[in-house]
Amino acid sequence: MIEKIHSTERAREGAVWRRSGRRQRRRRAALTSTVLIATSATLVLAACGGTAASSSSNSSSGVVNLTWQTMWSGNTLTLLSQMVNAFNSSHPGIHVTESNIPSATGDAKLLSEIAAGDPPDVFTEWNPVLGEYAADGTIQSLAPYLTGKYAGLEKWEYPIALQGGQYKGTLYALPMSMNSWALYYNKSMLKAAGISAPPTTMAELYADQAKEWKISGNKLSQIGFYPIYNLGFEYFGSFFGAVNCFNSAGQYDFAGCKGAQSEASFLAQYDKYPYADVAAMQTAYGAVAGGDDDAFVAGKEGFNMDGPWEGAQNIPVTNPAMTSNFGVEAFPGTEPAPSTFGQGNYNIVPKGAAHPSAAFTFISWLAGFDNVSFTSQIDPKGGWMPASPAIVSAPAYQTWLKANPWLQVFVNQMSSPYSVTPTLTKSESEFETAEATATEAIGEKTKTPQQALAYIDAQANSGAGG
Amino acid sequence: MRLRRWRQTRLGLLFISPWVIGFAVFYLYPFFATLYYSFTSFTGVGNPVPVGLANYSGLIHDGTFRTALFNTFYYTIIEVPLSTAAALGLAILLNMKVRGQAIYRTLFYMPSIVPVVASSLIFVWIFQPSFGVVNSLLTDIHVQGPTWFFSITWSKPTFILLGLWGLGQPMVIYLAALQGVPKEMYEVAALEGAGPLQRLRNVTLPMISPIILFNVILSLVLSIQYFTQAQVIESPPGSPGSSTMFYVTYYYQQAFTDLHLGYASAMAFLLFILVLIVTVLLLKTSSRWVYYENDQR
Repeated sequence: MIEKIHSTERAREGAVWRRSGRRQRRRRAALTSTVLIATSATLVLAACGGTAASSSSNSSSGVVNLTWQTMWSGNTLTLLSQMVNAFNSSHPGIHVTESNIPSATGDAKLLSEIAAGDPPDVFTEWNPVLGEYAADGTIQSLAPYLTGKYAGLEKWEYPIALQGGQYKGTLYALPMSMNSWALYYNKSMLKAAGISAPPTTMAELYADQAKEWKISGNKLSQIGFYPIYNLGFEYFGSFFGAVNCFNSAGQYDFAGCKGAQSEASFLAQYDKYPYADVAAMQTAYGAVAGGDDDAFVAGKEGFNMDGPWEGAQNIPVTNPAMTSNFGVEAFPGTEPAPSTFGQGNYNIVPKGAAHPSAAFTFISWLAGFDNVSFTSQIDPKGGWMPASPAIVSAPAYQTWLKANPWLQVFVNQMSSPYSVTPTLTKSESEFETAEATATEAIGEKTKTPQQALAYIDAQANSGAGG
Repeated sequence: MRLRRWRQTRLGLLFISPWVIGFAVFYLYPFFATLYYSFTSFTGVGNPVPVGLANYSGLIHDGTFRTALFNTFYYTIIEVPLSTAAALGLAILLNMKVRGQAIYRTLFYMPSIVPVVASSLIFVWIFQPSFGVVNSLLTDIHVQGPTWFFSITWSKPTFILLGLWGLGQPMVIYLAALQGVPKEMYEVAALEGAGPLQRLRNVTLPMISPIILFNVILSLVLSIQYFTQAQVIESPPGSPGSSTMFYVTYYYQQAFTDLHLGYASAMAFLLFILVLIVTVLLLKTSSRWVYYENDQR
C-alpha cells in the first residue's frame, strides 16, 4: 500500500515536471543552487565560528559583555565560576562569560584567535609567555589604566608579583594565582629514618634524604629527594642566584654564571639515583587524579620542592591521609632569609580587545585590588599565593593561615627581598624547554653540568625567530 | 547537445558545491597558507616577515629535527609491518569457526575504542618498572625488566608495543575482507592438494591484497604523524634523552610552545612531501603485489 502511494506521488511529480517546461527547470536549478550555496556558506561560517555574535559587544541594555578565556581544568573550574558570578553580581554594567579550553588546545585556539584578529577580551596565561606576546605587540600595556583609584595598584602588589607582569619595565598583566616554592617533608618517613628534625642545611638535606631511599634490586619503592626532575633547574634557581643570568649584551649566559654553575653541581650530586625509575614513578602517580598526584602526595617521597597547592589542594583531595603527615620549610641553605622565585597565572588584555577599560576593571578585580575580602577567601581554596600583602592581612586569609600554619613559609617568601622572578624575554618558552631538557640530561648523565648550562644558553639565545 | 551537457555539469557542480567550498576553505587554503608561512618568520601575530628558504636550511642544520626524523622512521619501519602482520594474523584466527567466535571478536576489538589518552595512562601503569604488571611477570620468570617508557633504549619499542593496543580497527577491516573471499577458491585449492599455508599464500593473501594496501597506507600515514601517546606520557616531551622526540612532537613544540609558526610550517610542508612520496612509492610498487580481480578479466 505504501509503495503504491509513493509511486502515485512520483508520477504526479513527474507530470508537473514535464508540464513546467524549460523555464521552470531553470528556475528550479537556480533555486537549488541558491539553497546549496546558502547552506554551504552557512555551514562554513558556522564551522569558522567567525560570526559577530562571538565577539564581545555592548548589549542593548548598555551592559558590556566580556569573554574571558582560561586554560584550567578539574577542581579549579568551580572556583572560576564562583569568581565570575561574584564579579557579575557586583558589576551590573559588565557581564563576563568564561570560556575554558584546556591547555594544549587552548594555546592553539588562542593563537588562532589572535592571528585572526578576534581575540577574547581577557585571557589567562602562565606569565613566562608574556615576554613573547609583549615583544610581538599582541597584548596591551596596562599603564594607561593606572590612574585614579588604580594609581596605587603597582605598589599594592608584592614586588615579585608585579615583576611577573612586566616586560621591559611596563605593566602588561595582573596576577591571579601566584606561585612560590618551598620544601615539603614527610614526617613519618623522617621518623622512620631516625631523624628528629627537618634539615637546616643542604648537606643535612642530602644526608637525611639518603636514608629514605628504598631500592631493592631494580625496584624503586620510595624516593628520598630527587631535584633532577621536571623543571628542577628552574625551581632551585633562586637559592643559587641562578634565575636571571644574562651577559652584558642581554643574552642568556648560564654557562658563565657562577650561581648557575653551583646549582648544576648541586643537581648533579643527586645523579647517583636512578632517573628513569624516579621519572616512571612520578609519571605513574601523575597519571591519576588529573595530574594532581605525585610520589610525595602518595606518601612515597621524603622531600619535595613544590608550591602551596600541594598542601592546600593536592594532598587533601587526593590523599587526605597525608594531611597531618607533612611539614613545609624554606629550602635550607643559601640565603639569610627565606627566598623563592615567583611565577604565576596572569590575566592579559590582548590588543584589539573591544572594551579594554572594562577588561582592566575585571582583571584588577581578579587580582584582588578593590576586592580583598572575596579574594582572601578564594586564594586559599585554589592553593594560590595572594598578589598583595593586603589580601594576606584580611581576616579570612588570617583564619586560613591559623588553620594551616605550614603556609606561613610561602607567605614569608612572597615579601622576602631575596625572592626573585625571572626577567621576561621574547624567548622565555625556549628557555623553559631548554631548562627542562638540561635538567633531564644531568639526571640521565648524558650531559655534564657545564654542557647542560651551555645547552640552555644555546637554545634560549637561538629562540628569537619565528 | 553541448548545452545539455553543460547544464548537467553545472547541476553536478552545484550539488557538490558544499564539499568543494569545505575543501577549499578547510584544506586548500590552509595548505597554501602553510606553504606561504614556511617562507616567513611568523609568531602568529603581526605580519609574517619573508625569510626565503631560511626555515628549510635551518631544518637541515637542526640536530633535533634530524633526531625527530630518525625516531619517526624507526617507529614507522617497525610499527607498520608489525601491526599489519598482527592485525592480519588476528583476523585470520578470528575468522575460524570456533565456539565463542563473537566474544573473541568483541574482546579483541574493544581496546581500539578506548580513548588514546586513557589507554596511554593505563600503559604508564602497566609498564611501570617497579610495580607494573609487566615487570612483575618478568620478575616471576627471573627476568629483570627495563624501565620501558623511561629508558633511552626501550622507550621507542615500548611505544611500538602500545601501538599494538589499537589493532581492532584494521583487524575488523581484514575480517570483512576475509569473509569476501569466495569459498569455492579454497575448495578448488584443497582439491588441488594445497595445504593451509599454501591456501593462505596463494588464495587468501592475493584476494585481500587491495585491503592490505589500504591498511598499510593508512598505518604508514598515522605512524609518520605519531604524537598523542608520546606527548601524554613523556615529560618533558621527547624525553628520555630525545629518544621519543617524534616528528610531530617537535613540530608541536615549535608551533605552539615556542611560537615559531614559520619554522613549524616548513616542517608541516616537509611532512606533507614525505607522506606523499611514501604513499606514491607504495602505490607504484603495489602493482607487483596487489591483485585486483577485475583487472584480470
